[in-house]
Amino acid sequence: MSTKSTYRHTVDSFKNALGLGNQTIETSLYERLIFYIALGLSLFVTLFPFYYMTVASLSPESSLYSLPPTLIPDELTLTHYRTVFGPETFPFLTYFKNSFIVATVTAGASVLVATFGAYSFARLDYKGRGIFSRGVLMVYMFSGILLVVPMFQVIVWLGFVDSLWSLFITYLVQTLPVSLYMLGNYFRSIPEEIEEAAIMDGYSRLEVIFKITLPLSAPAIVAVFFFTFMIAWNEYLFASIFLESQGVYTLPIGIEALASGFHQVWGEIMAASLLTSIPLIVMFMYLEKYMVEGLTFGAVEG
Amino acid sequence: MVSLTRSGDRTLEEKEALLGYALIAPSLLLIAAVILYPVLYNIYLSFTAVPLSPAESPEWIGLQHYQDLLGSGQFWSALWTTVVFTFFSTTLATLGGLGAALLFNRKFRGRRFARGLVLLPYVAPLISIAFVWRFMLDPLYGIVPYVGSDVLGLYGGDIDLLSNDRTALWSVIFVDAWRYFPFAFLMLIARVQAIPSDMYEAAKIDGASRFAQFKDITLAELKYILATVFLLRWIWNFNKFADIWLLTRQVETLPVYAYTVAFANYQHGQAAAISMVLFLALIGFVLVYVAWILDW
Repeated sequence: MSTKSTYRHTVDSFKNALGLGNQTIETSLYERLIFYIALGLSLFVTLFPFYYMTVASLSPESSLYSLPPTLIPDELTLTHYRTVFGPETFPFLTYFKNSFIVATVTAGASVLVATFGAYSFARLDYKGRGIFSRGVLMVYMFSGILLVVPMFQVIVWLGFVDSLWSLFITYLVQTLPVSLYMLGNYFRSIPEEIEEAAIMDGYSRLEVIFKITLPLSAPAIVAVFFFTFMIAWNEYLFASIFLESQGVYTLPIGIEALASGFHQVWGEIMAASLLTSIPLIVMFMYLEKYMVEGLTFGAVEG
Repeated sequence: MVSLTRSGDRTLEEKEALLGYALIAPSLLLIAAVILYPVLYNIYLSFTAVPLSPAESPEWIGLQHYQDLLGSGQFWSALWTTVVFTFFSTTLATLGGLGAALLFNRKFRGRRFARGLVLLPYVAPLISIAFVWRFMLDPLYGIVPYVGSDVLGLYGGDIDLLSNDRTALWSVIFVDAWRYFPFAFLMLIARVQAIPSDMYEAAKIDGASRFAQFKDITLAELKYILATVFLLRWIWNFNKFADIWLLTRQVETLPVYAYTVAFANYQHGQAAAISMVLFLALIGFVLVYVAWILDW
């Protein structure tokens, strides 16, 4: 660092300390204009598809299939939503229910198994711990496409084809490494003294886990739950080969079947897409803070 | 491993270790059964002809599948498509994330809220993303062809951007970069904000231009995180299947090729070999990248 900047830094520090600091960013009007244009453009490109999805799901057929495309609809209609919820065209509610069951059960089981595993990695000392925990991260290198052929054979052998069990077992294991990693990091951030004090007071390790560590880790557990929920909610590859009959389809498979089975049903597809997005977006809004860590670690095949 | 004392009591350390094994056992067993075993089984399958009926066992045919692949034009073209798709979607997503991170480094009203909005493409379900883009790119009524060809006249109409040979790959690259730039943004924003502002102050006093400040301070400080983001996205994009498959059937990368060979042609042994080549190519790339670029 140059002497000039040291001098400048010192002067600024004094100014700040005396409350004379110039806190506003000194930028010209021109620069601010450029900045806001760039920001506006980025937000537009990012958000436009979501806006368009919403508008299309609410527009009548006449404006969906005409040019120029409608950006601001003259009239809104709930027809597409009625079709989506009605049983005639396609069983959206069944798909939704299937996705919800698979995602909830997977997330619950993943949290349960990973909580114990992560505690073991974070706090207990035994031979092989380092190898195990690094090995679990290495597993992350194996992509879905590498597993899909042998997993299909395994699922056939287990007799789980066309049953939601096939997805449950696959998603549970695919989300375990992420869950172990996130929970392990969180457990390590809890001061060890708290647990040691409890052990001094005569608590057993299991009591410490249930009465102290778990309640303190509630935010991380909730985040891991929703994170694995999201992965299961999104998964297409395995579901597309394990599921055969409509009654067990999850949302990605069901919506794809709708799109390939009918022509010009964009209104219904957009309505279904929007309804599929809502659970994830609502969860994300409430849990943004906790989910950022998981997102940066990346979804399975993020 | 566990030594019992004469009275049957264990020491505290032994108890802790036992509990440690007991708590990690379910995770390890599940991972071994549902990931490690399939991976090893996949290696075996790639050397066999897998019969259609699950009752018959696979027949060992040695390197046949691998030899067939090396002599197949479709395989080489899929490998090339994979590399092009991965390179451009990764680069675009990383640059987009960098741009957004630099924008959001500046304070403005509503920044927290806007940051949440930028993450939406990455958070929304893949199926919704794929279909809204398919609708927007629809050759008859889509808004992108309308703006691109009718309003701006960038290309002659009647081209289906997602099924035309020349445009399908680029459309998929663009959609993929759009979906995953928030990942790069998230990884970069924290690091961008950690660059001390006096570095810029000092550079300004020394008369450095905007561009010089960007090159010598911002990029220099972000070098490693940028390289890491690029590597992670490269790994994931290289293996990408659903994002491409749901948008178009015209872009045949190696994962798409493996999927169709396995589940449209029912040649599971051949597909196992393709996914093995995919995996080895990826490992090869990662090793070279880590050794030469990251210099770890």
